[in-house]
Amino acid sequence: QFTERNIRLSNGVNEDHPNGKGVDKFRACLADKSGGKMKVQGFWGNALGGDLQATQALRSGTQEMVVTSSSPLIGILPDLGVFDLPFLFANEKEADAILDGSFGKHISDKLETVGLVNLAYWENGFRNLTNSRRPVEKWEDFKGLKVRVMQNNVFLDTFKNMGANAVPMAFGEVFTALETKAIDGQENPFVTIDTSKFYEVQKYLSVTRHAYTPFLVLYSKKLWDGLSKDEQAALRDCAVVSRDEQRKVIRELSQASLDKIKGEGTVVNELNAQEAQRMREQARSVWDKHAATIGPETVKMMQAEIDKVRGK
Amino acid sequence: MVVMVFGNVVLRYLFDTGIDVSEELSRYFFVWLTFIGAVVVGREHAHLGVETLVSRLGDKGRKLCMVLSDLFIIACCAVFFWGTWQQAEINATNYAPITEISMLWIYGVGFFASLGLGLLAALRILRVVSGRMSEQELRAFAGDYSDDAAHALRERLE
Amino acid sequence: MTIVVFLTSLLGSMALGMPIAFALIVCALALMLWLGNFDSQIVAQNMIIGADNFQLLAVPFFLLAGELMNVGGLSKRIVNFALACLGHIHGGLGYVAIVAALILAALSGSAAADTAALAAILIPMMRNAGYDIPRSAGLIAAGGIIAPVIPPSIGFIIFGVAANVSISQLFLAGVVPGLMMGLSLVVAWAIVVRRDKLERAPRASMRERGKAFIDGFFALMMPVLILGGIKWGIVTPTEAAVLAAVYALVIGMFVYRELKPSMLYGVFLTAAKTTAVVMFLVAAALVSAWLITQANIPGEISGLIQPLMGNKTALMFAMMFLVVIVGTALDFSPTVLILTPVLMPIVKQAGIDPVYFGVLFIINNAIGLITPPVGIVLNVVSGVARVPMGAVIRGVNPFLMAQIFVLVLLIVFPDLVMVPLAWLRGR
Ligand code: NA
Ligand code: NA
Repeated sequence: QFTERNIRLSNGVNEDHPNGKGVDKFRACLADKSGGKMKVQGFWGNALGGDLQATQALRSGTQEMVVTSSSPLIGILPDLGVFDLPFLFANEKEADAILDGSFGKHISDKLETVGLVNLAYWENGFRNLTNSRRPVEKWEDFKGLKVRVMQNNVFLDTFKNMGANAVPMAFGEVFTALETKAIDGQENPFVTIDTSKFYEVQKYLSVTRHAYTPFLVLYSKKLWDGLSKDEQAALRDCAVVSRDEQRKVIRELSQASLDKIKGEGTVVNELNAQEAQRMREQARSVWDKHAATIGPETVKMMQAEIDKVRGK
Repeated sequence: MVVMVFGNVVLRYLFDTGIDVSEELSRYFFVWLTFIGAVVVGREHAHLGVETLVSRLGDKGRKLCMVLSDLFIIACCAVFFWGTWQQAEINATNYAPITEISMLWIYGVGFFASLGLGLLAALRILRVVSGRMSEQELRAFAGDYSDDAAHALRERLE
Repeated sequence: MTIVVFLTSLLGSMALGMPIAFALIVCALALMLWLGNFDSQIVAQNMIIGADNFQLLAVPFFLLAGELMNVGGLSKRIVNFALACLGHIHGGLGYVAIVAALILAALSGSAAADTAALAAILIPMMRNAGYDIPRSAGLIAAGGIIAPVIPPSIGFIIFGVAANVSISQLFLAGVVPGLMMGLSLVVAWAIVVRRDKLERAPRASMRERGKAFIDGFFALMMPVLILGGIKWGIVTPTEAAVLAAVYALVIGMFVYRELKPSMLYGVFLTAAKTTAVVMFLVAAALVSAWLITQANIPGEISGLIQPLMGNKTALMFAMMFLVVIVGTALDFSPTVLILTPVLMPIVKQAGIDPVYFGVLFIINNAIGLITPPVGIVLNVVSGVARVPMGAVIRGVNPFLMAQIFVLVLLIVFPDLVMVPLAWLRGR
């Protein structure tokens, strides 16, 4: 059975991000299954605080849902750091297979122990490097670039390991800093590079695909335990239905964004297979260094899953 | 405190990107500075307020407003304290991304601030009730700071 | 209905004389009770997160820089420099006040401190030269409020953080409107003093001017440092603020030698306390902002003003009018912190550029500093110049009008903000 509920769902991104479409689908699906009783109230662009703050609100039971990137949450669950590891997935197919499979379940189970119910993995997209100095074709090209990266030990080490200068900075200041050439580059998914207009101030985009951090669709465990079986089932089903929609939309948009960035005159280069492999090997030391903090078991399991999908 | 924050960011300058912990650490010092400072400033009655209405009241009215507002402040502090208490566990199990210190160290300052500010309000009620409220304090409450150096803070800020 | 709960709880508790930070928390508690989701953790969490922000670190450092400048003997040198250039023309001391106010604005973020410094030096000189004192005090007050519009500006920092807008962009965007405010004062002053009989200072020789310039040179370098720092590579406002503080320390101690090591403790302490005042307010404002968003108050308001939503100019007029009203009764930072979460969603929805809005919002809040009954800059100038409040209010009127005129111009022609900004950004 279903009770009248208002589910507050917050997002770090704005409503025009593909997550908007995902949430629309989720809302429609829930309304359908619950006969209109379960309503979803969306908050966008960190209106209810950043990802970490919103997630903490879920853990304390003051908010129902959040769609958050995994990186800000490693302080709560170190195992999530596995998604920050450089050059983790080679393509979307690998990512889907592993996240929707037993490894994704393994992480979801761990999330329950810290008071969070993970309903699905949505896509944030591969992160790629832009800069104003040179095309990055091999790992040595990172050397000396001043790059704004997310404040996260694995990311910082990844870029240092490549010889780049990692600079911490609030996202809102990145555009101005790139424009004034105070920093050379930044790294984000295509969609973000497009919507933040970074192509206006960056000459080169290198499709490095150096990181893939998924979105987690989280529900507060405290509040979850007060839901009926039907309600829980509806939430889980709808998160999956909307996951497929969100992934479809973001992949289309990602392609469109890349086309637009190219159209704006940014020089785009793909990595050739051999150089990609060299980068992956170069980044190996970052995996080894952080395996202990992330949890050796989780890293090993991830490695095994990757080998499996790559058919080794 | 300022010296520490200051020194930290200056270090960041000298060593360029060398110290990743400095941003995080200076932020946390800053949080401590804010809330410890809030209690110190509270003791000097120098937090920004609106005295337009209170200044039109007589001594009795002012005392009444003072007690009422202090009761509300105590309520706010109680909520702040209780919230910090309830959050203690989820903060104790959340670690800062770079320095990896427990966030309880940062959030714990909420205990200090809520207790400190609540206590100040309670003591003031006590002073009113026991008739030991000074003329000067009552005038300051109504926005007349003519003999109060702490009020100069407002002139530095706005 | 939610708006009523919001307003009653906020205004009611402020009327009791409670610190505004606590009034904001009371307002948040009232909203939680009204929405039926009372949870003390919401308060605790938002309080701490409100203060935990690297960008806000610019606040203590700019305050510190201003404080160091204050005791380091800078204002005096700036006034001397302006005096050497402009003292000999009709009404010269008024122009000196305006030019000195503009330069001080580029050194500090505090309107009241700038006003106090200028009034202390210039009012006695103006009195001796036969100037109308209430009017002169009014001019100095109106000049003082340019401080938060020209960077560095605490107002831009807290607005930038609360509205999630680039502080660097706001800083660059404030320069030209700030100069326009100064220009409007020049025009207003020229009109009001044209028939006055005033004593003129003797024309300074080139040599004297050169000496005053060299004396003030290090002070004049500070804006170059801050703006140039942001434009050419120091990057973040926080880092520019640190640089400014270090610079002020070095100049005050080793160049002007007016800053003694024994004074440092006091300077640091004042800066720390002032920081605590503003930051505690910011922290409390985040709690109420969270609930304002949750309760969808901006949505409720934009519903009320639906007919305006299609017309950006009309909407800007309406919002600026609201800010003027609120600004008469509230200090600068509380107005910024209370109105930002309410207005920003409307600004975004209407497609108004957030940087443009931010500049006008801050100008408007600055104007609030010289509108009675609550206008801290009026209090300061009345105290320092020893002129009754009523006389200052009359004296400030022509200059207040001039600055409101600038605001109206900027509403009608947004390009006055946007074109210079694009140019300063170097594109
Ligand atoms: Na300024
Ligand atoms: Na006012």
